[in-house]
Amino acid sequence: MKALYKTLLIFCFVLMFSSCQQTLEPKPVDLLTDDVVLNEAKDVPNVEIGLYNAFRDILPSTVIAGDFTSDMLIFNGTFSQYRELGTKNITSANASIATLWASIYNTVYIANFILERLPDVPGVKAAERDRVTAVARFLRGYAYFIALHTYGGVPQVLSTSIDENRNIPRATPDEINSLILSDYNAALGKLPDVASNPGYASNYAVRAALARFYLYNKDWVNAESLATQVISSNKYKLDSVYSIIVNKDFPGESIFEVAYTIIDDPGTDSNLGLNNLFVGRREIIPSNQVVLSLASTESGDRFSAIKFNSANLTGNDTGWEVAKYGTKDEDNNNVVVFRLGEQYLIRAEARAQQGNVTGAIEDVNVLRKRAKAPLLSSSTQNQMITTIEEERKFELAFEGHRWYDLVRTGRASQVMPLFTSNWKSAYELWPIPQREIQNNPALVGNQNPGY
Amino acid sequence: MRRVLLISFLLSSFFLSAQDRLISGRVTSVSDPNGLPGVNVVVKGTSKGVITDLEGRFALEATSGSVLVFSFIGYKTQEVLISTQSTLALQLEEEPKELSEVVVVGYSSVERREITGSIASVKADKFREISLNGIDQALQGQAPGVQVVQSSGTPGGGISVRIRGNTSISASNRPLFIVDGVPVETGSLSLRDFGGQDDNALSLVNPNDIESIQILKDASAKAMYGSRGANGVVLIRTKKGNKALTRINIDVQRGIIDPVKKLKLLGSTELLQLQREAMTNAGHDPDKAGLTPGITDAVNTNWLDAIFRRGIMQQYQLSASGGDENTTYYLSGGYRDEEGIQLNNRFQRYSMSLNVDRKFSPKLTVGNNLTLAYSINHRVKGDNFLDGVYSGAIKSLPYNVPYDENGNIVGPSSPLYAAFPNFNPVGQALLPRFLASTVKVLGNLNATYKFNEDFSLRSQAGIDYNDVTEDQYESSQTAIGGYLSSVGGQGYGIFSTSKSVNFILNSVLSFKKKITDHDISALAGVEMIQRPTIYGTVTGRLFPSDDFTYITSAGIVDQGSSGRVKSGLLSGFAEGKYSYKDKYLFSLAMRADGSSRFGPGNRFGYFPAVSGAWRISEENFFKSEVIEDLKLKASVGFTGNERIGDFKFLGAWASVPYNGTTGVAPSTIANPNLKWETTRELNVGVDISLFNGRIQSTVEAYLNKTSDLLFNRPYASTTGFSSVLDNIGDIQNKGLEFGITSVNLDGAVKWTTEVNLSKNINKILFLADSVPIYAGYSAEGTSATNIVQQGQPLGTFIGLNFLGVDPATGNAIYEDRNKDGKISNDDQMIIGHALPKLTGGVTNRFVYMNFDLNVFFQFSVGNDVLNLTKASLVNSGSDLTSNQSVDALRRWQKPGDITDVPRYIEGNTFNHYHSNRLIEDGSYLRLKNLGVGYTLPSKWSDKVMLNRLRVYASATNILTFTKYSGADPEVSTLDGSTTAQGIDFFTLPQVKTVSIGLNATLK
Repeated sequence: MKALYKTLLIFCFVLMFSSCQQTLEPKPVDLLTDDVVLNEAKDVPNVEIGLYNAFRDILPSTVIAGDFTSDMLIFNGTFSQYRELGTKNITSANASIATLWASIYNTVYIANFILERLPDVPGVKAAERDRVTAVARFLRGYAYFIALHTYGGVPQVLSTSIDENRNIPRATPDEINSLILSDYNAALGKLPDVASNPGYASNYAVRAALARFYLYNKDWVNAESLATQVISSNKYKLDSVYSIIVNKDFPGESIFEVAYTIIDDPGTDSNLGLNNLFVGRREIIPSNQVVLSLASTESGDRFSAIKFNSANLTGNDTGWEVAKYGTKDEDNNNVVVFRLGEQYLIRAEARAQQGNVTGAIEDVNVLRKRAKAPLLSSSTQNQMITTIEEERKFELAFEGHRWYDLVRTGRASQVMPLFTSNWKSAYELWPIPQREIQNNPALVGNQNPGY
Repeated sequence: MRRVLLISFLLSSFFLSAQDRLISGRVTSVSDPNGLPGVNVVVKGTSKGVITDLEGRFALEATSGSVLVFSFIGYKTQEVLISTQSTLALQLEEEPKELSEVVVVGYSSVERREITGSIASVKADKFREISLNGIDQALQGQAPGVQVVQSSGTPGGGISVRIRGNTSISASNRPLFIVDGVPVETGSLSLRDFGGQDDNALSLVNPNDIESIQILKDASAKAMYGSRGANGVVLIRTKKGNKALTRINIDVQRGIIDPVKKLKLLGSTELLQLQREAMTNAGHDPDKAGLTPGITDAVNTNWLDAIFRRGIMQQYQLSASGGDENTTYYLSGGYRDEEGIQLNNRFQRYSMSLNVDRKFSPKLTVGNNLTLAYSINHRVKGDNFLDGVYSGAIKSLPYNVPYDENGNIVGPSSPLYAAFPNFNPVGQALLPRFLASTVKVLGNLNATYKFNEDFSLRSQAGIDYNDVTEDQYESSQTAIGGYLSSVGGQGYGIFSTSKSVNFILNSVLSFKKKITDHDISALAGVEMIQRPTIYGTVTGRLFPSDDFTYITSAGIVDQGSSGRVKSGLLSGFAEGKYSYKDKYLFSLAMRADGSSRFGPGNRFGYFPAVSGAWRISEENFFKSEVIEDLKLKASVGFTGNERIGDFKFLGAWASVPYNGTTGVAPSTIANPNLKWETTRELNVGVDISLFNGRIQSTVEAYLNKTSDLLFNRPYASTTGFSSVLDNIGDIQNKGLEFGITSVNLDGAVKWTTEVNLSKNINKILFLADSVPIYAGYSAEGTSATNIVQQGQPLGTFIGLNFLGVDPATGNAIYEDRNKDGKISNDDQMIIGHALPKLTGGVTNRFVYMNFDLNVFFQFSVGNDVLNLTKASLVNSGSDLTSNQSVDALRRWQKPGDITDVPRYIEGNTFNHYHSNRLIEDGSYLRLKNLGVGYTLPSKWSDKVMLNRLRVYASATNILTFTKYSGADPEVSTLDGSTTAQGIDFFTLPQVKTVSIGLNATLK
């Protein structure tokens, strides 16, 4: 008996200590640790996809910023973050404002991670190294472009050092602007001219980004020149009817768009699920003025960007909805970053600003013709500039442009008070998110004025 | 040599038996004059013995000159020398019960008088006849230092148990529950969020199989649980058989269930008038919006009446127990069926239990405990879900109808469907299938080997296996399945399964010796715990019709996931106890834990504890007729908390998709310095027993400081991350506990009173960066509903200071605290505290003849409740899509009106800013249980061949005294949350249950 027990006892102890390792050091099945993420050539594509994944989140928030801070959309739901944007009682605690900020810096982190680590990863071919570096700089540049025009001079994060970036002051708008330009220029030429699919970056995407960059900086010459390079490359074609832009992913004119598939659709995400916000929950619906505007003859076919459903016609709900973003089962989930239509409008505006009204009319008419809207024949320069502002509203509705356009042209202070009496000039920028000021000592006391 | 010994042994036993003769007799006691069954009668120095039968009779063979030892738990052991007598009548003397009661602590057991730490006991008879869903519910109001809040009235739902306050912000605050030596899963098992209300793993443990519960509260009592002990330990022992004849027990209980209170909401006409007024005030034309008197309010649906029902509760249990000298067993089977008060909500549990102990030799005992349980939970969505049932019923406009003229449920395909956010809550209750079926296997196998009188070794292997399978379908006539095309659109099915297992293996070597006046005991052990979890889920959409509800018929199956996580604990522990003359007691203990949840540098934690007690009443100078026992005790020690989730110390990247390809993106920052939360605990107390045990009281005070609090330290997003899990703070809990049991009358009427009171003061001593952390829900005009801030307790509410309604304009007036001329989140302040100042319970029990009456009150004082339901029900017109409370009738309507409800203006958010308008005093006194019973006199029960027959009636939650205006002050959404507790956000109120029961013991 005793012998038996001794055996049992030893057995118990052996069992315990043999499984010691197993007990104390189980391996995670769904995570990779920092040190092995990017240390050999085959890791590079994975991290590059991770960068696109982070970058993708910027776009839905940009649509909210561009169209909802302006006069395109109104509030029709229950979430306080959207009520604030809708009624123009925007506070720094707003979740949409924190979401876009976080998406920008998540993208910046991975881009910086690639830029820091990639040079030391063995076995990566030089061309591949250059291309991935260019992707990182291009996407980082665009992230900062959105940051600059949404929040003003933001902290300029250029490393992955946590300690450094937890306590980092705001840079000046000029510093951010030159960072964007140097990132774009560094990327230009190192990417494929046209990507395998417009879901990825390309040289022409960089040119389109530069065209927009120069437009915002009122550098009309360069804006026209870059837009021309994109337009005359003949790599992109306007689709025959406008509704293709509304109803299809990757239309023929798409230069760069962020892509979703059925497995990674944002669904009911309260910040990123555009279809859910516009159609499912109907938190956000088109404003009356945009409905009238899109229904006008000048808008033509671009009326297809919105839809009417009488079943929704209750209370304050007008029954109208944004049609550009479908459910995951539909073929229009992507959010466009750059497309040819915008390049025509950039060139038209640059030409008009330089006094080339005829050239501007030609460009606008390309889009009017496609939209089966009446063509322009003649115009003064000032009229033309106003016409282009309207045209951008028709053509680029719900693609996140309107607010940025009104602010960069200085027209917000004239247009917005007509839309809502709550408008104030502070709303030409979003506030720095409250949580950033709370957690980054260098930002204390540096909120945008008026918040 | 061995052979010689054997022969002599055989000879001697032969020789002895030759002189044996039969001794018979009867054992009685003062309270059992008709015989005391189950008494051990052993011939001293041999293994020969018998047990008395039901009438207390025994018979065995013994020789003259031998000594018979009579022993029985709760009685003083008595020895009788056999001379010439052949019959024997013996009356055993009862020991003062409380003092000699054996209490299991950790890996050993002690008698109550030897305890040097803080331990509260709850015996099964205190909750046996109360309708309870799970064992955690049984603790409510029963022991000082234990605060139990049932999060809602959902059967099988979440229950928050806190022992001596909240010790942690983000790691779990739930105590460690151990059933028969096996740590069991607590909290939620389900993979799907149901809107604040979770399911509850502990509802699988049948309270009727519980013998006793010990609650370990201070460092010395918890020392053997080291890194898992900071939140207290609840030790549960299931019933065992005793060495007596077989007893068969039948329990039947049936009852009805109703909500404790229904909110009063506006009817159609009143609401229409209010909405028209709100639109007019905003300069809008109500006629254009279709708010037409006589048409809009032609329908008046009371949605709460539509979704509520009277539930039926029924419970049946059959058990058998018994044993002989070498084997004891307990076997039971039970069934409980509790219908929720919401349509379609139901919880059913089938359970079975088998506990067997077998003595194979005087040295080796082998035993097992096994509980099998299966539950079927028909769940409904709740709380902050827009498509929840109770929340939907509160919010839905009375203008809408649940059924069309043909009696069909109104769904998205019907023109009568009101749509977002007024989903038909009746349809939301009846149409979806949310079945969670859970299997629990809880058991252990143990062996104890006694090397000799002093040394013994006990090894145990145990498992707690929980397997939940969720079978869900939301039809095309529901919000998710039909209305929200971005989710389901045409039916939406989820099938998921999750297995959570706790596996434990330990060996403990114990030593116990008494050398004259010195009692020494010691133990040392090793233990391994492994906790694997594996889960999988799959989602299907686009079903051909609602006749097909399983994913095999889904048009698209595009969402799914599976994974596994494993964590482990490897530990060694030792404990030594010494007492001199039962007067000076001293104990020293230590546990070392290695946990997989921490980085290599911080993997091991050491948790020592020391305690002592002085039983003054044993001193010669202290002789008192009144004071039977007086003990002073003190302890100090360390415990830990490692329940933070797995792999948190790693800097990790997870898989992410883009454009049909998969890559990796960062998910967490590495924090190799991550370590345990450590709680330093100090405890002092006095135990006193007066008048031969008629009054027993314990007073204790404690001071606990938890350091290295684990929390997601918020990072500026410029780092690329929003937070890192870090050890960032210190928190303190100090408190006083008082418990008293008194036999007030002990004559024809027996009246006993038990009172327990607990006061705990929680305070955050330090937070890194001194940055307040916002928690809870987002709120209009403020940073959030809750704040975690240095100097404040957990569960602190923030908001604006609402000063009233301007009689001139009808607008809300808030305090402009920073005097900047505008109201913003810079003006927010602390507006309330969710933690109560005092909690307790009072039980009075009366027995007269065969009748008994039990009155159990439970209360909470000084806790604030954030009535977020009111934010929606008295919303000042910020949105017109939800119904309003009758309180809205008090709204400001014309200049000069003095009221506390601001003017209604459509779309206006200012009047609706988050403020102390929503904070209410949540103090309450609740008649938790009122029970009356009648036990048939034995002469009657004998006639129907029963040993005992008892009938009783029991009513729970029937009376509540509170100033709280919502449905129930006790509820809490965000079940189990520490930073955001005490929030009523469309939370289903508690239920009152009135039941009758029958308990019979067969002969």
